Amino acid sequence: MSVAEMPALEVRGLVKHYPGVKALDGVDLVVRQHEVLGLAGENGAGKSTLLKALVGLVTPDAGEIYVRGEAVKLRSVVEAANHGIGMVFQEQSLVPNLTAAENILLGSEGASVRRGLYRWDVMRRLAQEQLDKIGSKIDPLARTDSLSFADRQMVEIAKVLRIEQRSQHPPVIILDEPTSVLESKEIDTLFAQIRRLREFASVVFVSHRLDEVLDVCDRVTVLRSGQSVGEVAAAGAVPRELHRMMIGSTGSDDHYHENAASVVGSEQPRLSVRGLSGKSFRGIDLDVAAGEIVSIVGVHGSGREDVCRALFGAEPATAGEIRMDGRKIDLRSTRAACAAGIGYVPAERKIEGMVGPMSVADNMTLTKQKARCAGPFVAPAKQASLVDRWIERLSIRTPTRDTAIQRLSGGNQQKVVLARWLVGGDIKLLLLDHPTRGLDIGARSEVYRLMRELAASGVATVLLADSLEEAIGMADRILVMNDGRVVTEVACPAGGKPSPLDLVKEMV
Amino acid sequence: MSTPVAVAEPAANPAGPRRAGRLTGFMPLIALVALVLALAIADSDFLTTRSLTAALRTAAPLIVLAAGATLVVLCGGIDLSIAALASLSTVLLALWLPDLGGLATPVVILAATAIGAVQGVAHVLLRIPSFIVTLGGMSILSAVALVVSGAGTVRVVDDTPVKWLELYVGGYVPMSAAVAIIVVAVIAVVLKVTPLQSWVSATGYSESAARLAGTPVDLVKIAAFCVSGACAGLAAVMLVSRQYSGGPTMADNLLLPAVAAIVVGGTAITGGHGSVWRSLAGALVVTLLRVGLPIVGVPSAYEQILYGVIIVVCVALTLDWSKVSIIK
Repeated sequence: MSVAEMPALEVRGLVKHYPGVKALDGVDLVVRQHEVLGLAGENGAGKSTLLKALVGLVTPDAGEIYVRGEAVKLRSVVEAANHGIGMVFQEQSLVPNLTAAENILLGSEGASVRRGLYRWDVMRRLAQEQLDKIGSKIDPLARTDSLSFADRQMVEIAKVLRIEQRSQHPPVIILDEPTSVLESKEIDTLFAQIRRLREFASVVFVSHRLDEVLDVCDRVTVLRSGQSVGEVAAAGAVPRELHRMMIGSTGSDDHYHENAASVVGSEQPRLSVRGLSGKSFRGIDLDVAAGEIVSIVGVHGSGREDVCRALFGAEPATAGEIRMDGRKIDLRSTRAACAAGIGYVPAERKIEGMVGPMSVADNMTLTKQKARCAGPFVAPAKQASLVDRWIERLSIRTPTRDTAIQRLSGGNQQKVVLARWLVGGDIKLLLLDHPTRGLDIGARSEVYRLMRELAASGVATVLLADSLEEAIGMADRILVMNDGRVVTEVACPAGGKPSPLDLVKEMV
Repeated sequence: MSTPVAVAEPAANPAGPRRAGRLTGFMPLIALVALVLALAIADSDFLTTRSLTAALRTAAPLIVLAAGATLVVLCGGIDLSIAALASLSTVLLALWLPDLGGLATPVVILAATAIGAVQGVAHVLLRIPSFIVTLGGMSILSAVALVVSGAGTVRVVDDTPVKWLELYVGGYVPMSAAVAIIVVAVIAVVLKVTPLQSWVSATGYSESAARLAGTPVDLVKIAAFCVSGACAGLAAVMLVSRQYSGGPTMADNLLLPAVAAIVVGGTAITGGHGSVWRSLAGALVVTLLRVGLPIVGVPSAYEQILYGVIIVVCVALTLDWSKVSIIK
């Protein structure tokens, strides 16, 4: 194979473990020269970890990365840049109070700095060269925070293209969710830019919107559970096909324990929300009956996470009312929510869900202190027997109840976090924000089973699922949110489940 | 995908941190024993009742100050106002003793508690970092002390109401040291037998997780500042009983030793990990260093260098790197 036909970038068998979860499980990926490669996959499929590995932010446990046929080790962003790999970050990495020119040359100042001093004329010229490459009309001396988001993204692309100077080769540019905050007109400009980049670079494009991926890419690689599960030529492919590859065909077995779905009574709803409004959502009406699992779905930015937090008093609501079993509750503090029998399992388990260095026992009894106390005092024997009972009941695998929770695997950590709400015996409503995020398939299944059991015992559940498939599998009813509002409600009984595509139509 | 700055990786080796943690747990005790031995060798008079009780009497106010501030540190904050508050309290005590007599002591401690509470409320309600609130508090309290004292020492003519602190328990143990140890024990026991230990640790390790678990984070923090204030008031009573006067800068030189005592004890400056017992050991270590420097011939002018080095080195040893993604 001649150098001209070598893939610009090739990944073989990349593996990355985190405690309790295999983020990458032998990923293969080929980026050809002068092509736009799309990367598709659900949350937790390993996209982020893969991209981080490609720019040296994550060191893989096994597997190789080849740049133009040559095996390389990427240990830092600088090393990746030296090999011609650069990334435009989803959350922008520009310094707001510097000029566009300074940002473009930041870290690769070259001739624009002599004897430690800026040479503004050279800097301006070098920055202009970069901006010319992408045909941008931005003034290099404009302050970055005076530019629009779309313009800042152009500056970022111009900045990434500086790596050409280091590698002497056409670079590989990675764009991580570049469209998530752009208007449709800006997206058109960006896509024109990407097609232009193809002339002198290779591009890896990541987006949640499958239609975009198919629109701008030449080829798409699909990731699922840390593996590459397929590759399609974008021409002629349809989003449905991609989606099926992303979620796999697990619909046949009873992964979601649908036969254990409880029968929902029609009495007074346990949770009743009317006209709830906040910073990123408005006019939310929501009823959840005892034993019912209601899932809220929506794209990133639909406001569903904020609704969930507002129900727990962790995000201020500006209007509306929340009733539990008919009793109106003032939810301005998480304490009041706990007292009303509401439990919340946050999406960021390691940061918000658990206190890592504290023991399993202390984490489990953190909220319902009464359950382990006699009067005002902690009763160690009472705590021990309570915790041991729940460790056994949920089959939590931990050496002892006094082990720090951070030493457990992700699935077991999540079971402890869930148990925190159960030990008091007074839980009425569970708010589950991505409860299976980062868990492997076995741990997910156990969490699903636990959810079914709780529902059967009369606990009402609001679920923000990690994937559409999960939402459909678990929910009795699905609310679709779009741009801060509930746009539609879909019944989702066992045996009469809607298809993901029906929901996607409403979400975008 | 987040910003490219920090990628927090969970600890890969489960045995490592635990063993290290066990070792640092004994470090202050080991340092204490080593210091006592070294001083005994350097100065044959050191292991006499007289010099040991003198050392304990010197240590008492520091132990109390450090114990109170430890609670704030455990909650993930810091109280830089303790020394200034203690100074102000010595002035108030000296001024009030003639009128209030025996009541002056509890009144001063209550006043100091209230000042601690105000700082705690400001920190919680206005969402200002405790470092800034107490730095401002330190400046304000110092100035108030200067104003109410007329910028000079306030002599105590009749010190009978605070004389009891100069007694000896069992003939050997200075009363002030006994009180200091009782304070440490009471704080430690109350934490241990109530849910407070869980709440304080959770708040210190991860405030957002504690909040989402329904822990009364704000109340816990305000309470920690109250205890810190009360301890500063008690330390002031001890100082007045020894010096027969109150002074607007009397306790100011105790701030650095108190912070040093906390970190020498191995309490993590980032919060969560630690205990008041550790600070007791830390305070004794710091006091012995202070007493010992002249013995081994180091001029006391070098003391401040020592505190500076101790604080930096001990924080470097105990810092929980996983919690700190960007060092500012």
